[in-house]
Amino acid sequence: MSKLSFRARALDAAKPLPIYRNKDLPDLKDCVSINRAVPQMPTGMEKEEESEHHLQRAISAQSVFREKKENMVIPVPEAESNITYYDRLYKGELKIPKQLFHIQPLGLDNEQPDYDMDSEDETLLNRLNRKMEIKPIQFETMVDRLEKASANQLVTITEAKLLLNEDDYLLKSVYDYWVRKRKNCRGPSLIPLIKQEKRDGSTNNDAYVAFRRRTEKMQTRKNRKNDEASYEKMLKLRREFSRTVTILEMIKRREKSKRELLHLTLEVVEKRYQMGDFTGEVLSEVTAPLAEKPMYTSPITLSNGNRHNHKAEIKIKYHGHHNISVKEEDPFDFVRPRKKYTRRDPLCRPGRPAKRQHVVNKADIKQYDFHSSGEEDYPLSPPSEPDEENDPDGAFAFRRKAGCSYLAPCVAQSSGFLWEHPELVGLDAVRYRHSLTALSVPQRCVGLARRRVGRGGRILMDRASSELDTVLKQLDSAVYTSFGRPGPPDCPDPWLSSQNHKTMPRSGSSLADILSNIQDLRWRCFRPRPTQGDCTGDRSTGRPSVDCRLSEALLVPAKNSGSGELFLNTPSAYFAASAVISASGQVNNENKPHNATVNGVLQPSGELWMNRSGRSLCGGGPLFPAHTTTSTPQSLPNHRDQGHGSAVSPAHHHHNARPSGPLPSALKLATVATSSLDRVPKVTPASAIGSMARDNHEPERLALNGISETTVPMEVT
Amino acid sequence: MQSAETLWLCKPRFISCLRSWSVTIPQVTNPGVDVVEGCRLPVLRKNQENEDEWPLAEILSVKEIPGRKLYYVHYIDFNKRLDEWVTPDRLDMKKLQFPKKEAKTPTKNGLPGSRPSSPEREVVRAAGKSLPTKTSLPDFQVLQQQAQNGTARRPMPNQPGRKRKQPPNCGGTDEDSQDSSDGIPSAPRMTGSLVSDRSHDDIVTRMKNIDCIELGRHRLKPWYFSPYPQELTTLPILYLCEFCLKYLKSLKCLQRHLTKCNLRHPPGNEIYRKGTISFFEIDGRKNKTYSQNLCLLAKCFLDHKTLYYDTDPFLFYVMTEYDSKGFHIVGYFSKEKESTEDYNVACILTLPPYQRRGYGKLLIEFSYELSKVEGKTGTPEKPLSDLGLLSYRSYWSQTILEILMDLKPDNGERPQITINEISEITSVKKEDVISTLQYLNLINYYKGQYILTLSEDIVEGHERAMQKRHLRIDPKCLHFTPKDWSKRGKW
Repeated sequence: MSKLSFRARALDAAKPLPIYRNKDLPDLKDCVSINRAVPQMPTGMEKEEESEHHLQRAISAQSVFREKKENMVIPVPEAESNITYYDRLYKGELKIPKQLFHIQPLGLDNEQPDYDMDSEDETLLNRLNRKMEIKPIQFETMVDRLEKASANQLVTITEAKLLLNEDDYLLKSVYDYWVRKRKNCRGPSLIPLIKQEKRDGSTNNDAYVAFRRRTEKMQTRKNRKNDEASYEKMLKLRREFSRTVTILEMIKRREKSKRELLHLTLEVVEKRYQMGDFTGEVLSEVTAPLAEKPMYTSPITLSNGNRHNHKAEIKIKYHGHHNISVKEEDPFDFVRPRKKYTRRDPLCRPGRPAKRQHVVNKADIKQYDFHSSGEEDYPLSPPSEPDEENDPDGAFAFRRKAGCSYLAPCVAQSSGFLWEHPELVGLDAVRYRHSLTALSVPQRCVGLARRRVGRGGRILMDRASSELDTVLKQLDSAVYTSFGRPGPPDCPDPWLSSQNHKTMPRSGSSLADILSNIQDLRWRCFRPRPTQGDCTGDRSTGRPSVDCRLSEALLVPAKNSGSGELFLNTPSAYFAASAVISASGQVNNENKPHNATVNGVLQPSGELWMNRSGRSLCGGGPLFPAHTTTSTPQSLPNHRDQGHGSAVSPAHHHHNARPSGPLPSALKLATVATSSLDRVPKVTPASAIGSMARDNHEPERLALNGISETTVPMEVT
Repeated sequence: MQSAETLWLCKPRFISCLRSWSVTIPQVTNPGVDVVEGCRLPVLRKNQENEDEWPLAEILSVKEIPGRKLYYVHYIDFNKRLDEWVTPDRLDMKKLQFPKKEAKTPTKNGLPGSRPSSPEREVVRAAGKSLPTKTSLPDFQVLQQQAQNGTARRPMPNQPGRKRKQPPNCGGTDEDSQDSSDGIPSAPRMTGSLVSDRSHDDIVTRMKNIDCIELGRHRLKPWYFSPYPQELTTLPILYLCEFCLKYLKSLKCLQRHLTKCNLRHPPGNEIYRKGTISFFEIDGRKNKTYSQNLCLLAKCFLDHKTLYYDTDPFLFYVMTEYDSKGFHIVGYFSKEKESTEDYNVACILTLPPYQRRGYGKLLIEFSYELSKVEGKTGTPEKPLSDLGLLSYRSYWSQTILEILMDLKPDNGERPQITINEISEITSVKKEDVISTLQYLNLINYYKGQYILTLSEDIVEGHERAMQKRHLRIDPKCLHFTPKDWSKRGKW
């Protein structure tokens, strides 16, 4: 290079290079040194390895001889290829197919056990084979299952029994053998496996850990410092967009529901108009009070917190105790209705003009059911949610709902209970009294209770305890008889019952029986009645129980408590809910002609559901006898202190009868759920009622269990 | 530094790690002297002509088996694959060099290094020198854990002189930077399959851990560490199912496994078959088990291969040779589904029993055939191994020379070709074309322009080589449709 006075131009890859033979260029030698003008390309090897003795030797040999010399190759550790038993080991022959192999990757997983028996196992197998026949594959499958079931600790013999389903002797011997072998095993498993990474990063430097998951990280381009940061921003953006999409999706669903609700309401009004039911007479006829039930005015115990022998009860109680402390800071919406009405309840208590009560009929209510649950609108959140911070009442502030007709509180009629309505005049004398209350179905006495109407029109039972409770329990039969049988025979709307039959024929199956039972019950119980006794019917409906049941079900995965298996798991609950609800939807449609109500119809389903669930929470009444057998005095204080108000959810006063709406689906749901749990058919509803009995604690529990969707759990239920 | 001192006190044997080597002092001749890790001395080995030679070697580990001691030695300036356990009688104790304790302020010559200096290494050392002496501390901690695990091998840190181009995060900033509990200590990059940064090398990965692998008819002696389950590393022989590559601890287990495994070819789609040679394409995401087993096996023979991450972004092309027993694996190469750096091969390996028989070149040729179908140029992922470099150079040389020699004079004009054209025809990346032309000394600057000159011995050498090259890929037998992986969300 030093000899040359000029610089060679850079090598241009796009420029044609003429090809010469050396013999054609005798003067080439003079130019050789210029070779260096072309920048030396790196070999692509690591520098230090590049200088290794054998490589250098091989490279120089190649450049000298232009071919590899036998003794100049890079030496490697030798391999042998004379395994004599190969043919015995790999049996069979393979004819080469004409077609190229094409494999479906999914089909590769056969059910063969991964465990392979060793000679030690063979000894055991031979021993066992003296007593019984056991094939190697069977043994391998057993060990394989045991191994795969033992993550951190060995499976126990009982688990092994469930797992293997083998003959007891065989199981025992294999299990014991396995445990012993496992203990002597040097590896973490009898099936040798590549060491897995641990999430805590402790294995980041472990040479034996291989095939770590690639964390979701962008493969950043080089020379871009901020790529990582911008990638994270993009991730965030994506998350937020997807959240927006979800919200919009939910709004869409909500608005759809609203529209449908509007249409149906319109239809109801039209029907009423066609019927000429301008005064609500048809309705009031239909909803005319049944024969007055005898009242027992003797003091009674609250049988409110029913203690069940079910494990779930414990769980519930736990939450019940924590109720108060958690309440204030609870971020979840379930609490909202409760707290709100804790405050406002005194105001509400005066109640609404009684008129409204009889304006609502069942079909009407079922419509709501149809809307809100038929479409599985669980995530539909109350539209008033966002501005909760500004309201002095915080999350529990009352919010006006679009499309809902609100009625002014009748302050003047501070005692404006439904029975103050002209038709019902004279019945209000009992309204402040705790009177003996009984349920029609199941026929039992719940003790002393006072009925009142919550703000949303839910009927609340305030129960009182007394020493006479035990006595009162024995009154059950008397109650039953005195109540008469206000069932379908007395029903002013026989059509409904027949309708029910149509929808769910009593095919003699238990499901249908239960269903119709419950439907009858609902019919009876939700008739607005002036008597407190009737109100208990409200509680005895399936709706609350389903609420709670399903919440239980929802809780199962979260809590993973021992009682878990007794409940439906969430998916099945959803399934049951949707299935049943669609059925009830049909009923609704068929019922439409009988709708004669306007009030509250426009209320968006979201809140409606809250109402219902809230209402269900206040129901302390039993549905199943199991429920009544025990009572929880200790839960009484809770219930009493914050109970009444908080038990009430934002339903409206005039919707006194409306709550019956959700019942069909709820009941069916309960039935379905019950029947799907063959093993413990009674337990589920019972426990559900148990939790219902816990009434207002329910939302707390839900909240505590981290089911955070605003009203989802309620709506699900 | 405080903790460092403590460490030294309680683990005196680590001291050796921070030593460099001084020329022998008289007491070496004392037969009772202890040969510890880090010592250097000539060790007897047979060369290819079966002659004795005494290359300088470094003791990496010492283990005691009943009756005697064994020393794991690395022959300086020999590839790691020749490292081995030797008996004491092969050590030349007369020339033993003890590691000298490293000076607190390292001087140029005082820095430890397992290899004689070379210009490249000086650079590395300079980089190492700039780091405080703490540099190797993180390794100690890692190693200590190893020691506590009760492995037979004594921990030995990296020699700081050996490729310590560390990113600052494991340089001497704080001792905890590699502490396991503390976040993620510099995980390797997620693309590619090879590591060039060997700073994570520790004594565990520097030493072979598997003695012998039986695969079909063959017994293979692994060349490097491979993370097979640790409990299997103590076995004299690790058995592999020839077709699914599952690892088994005994022949009995293999026998049992073969009753259940009905594979007789790699579990993928056969995309090429000519004669007995077939290629199977395996998706590293869809067929994880096989891909992982293949990687574990390959790691035994590929020093720079990393198994740190999963196999999802790779495709594996397994070359097999058919006989009546099935399709026997000969070699394979892996390939990133999407490469940002024009890599068309990630790892490539011909299994030792098939080496030096033209299969490697066949694999390389196949990889470029795939690139041709894709309409891309490609290059193997770096770093190349010594054998990789030789194979690729040889393939590139033959491929390019083939083109150059076939060029006929056009209208009496001298034939000419651009580098880009060569690259397009061969799918060999431009840089590799240039480096090959350089390596072959074909590029000359003549009368103001670059020309390619073919010398007699180049031409003759090429013709001889091509006569020996029987195994070729026939593009007509390739049934391959490239997938556009970028269109899928994830590989």
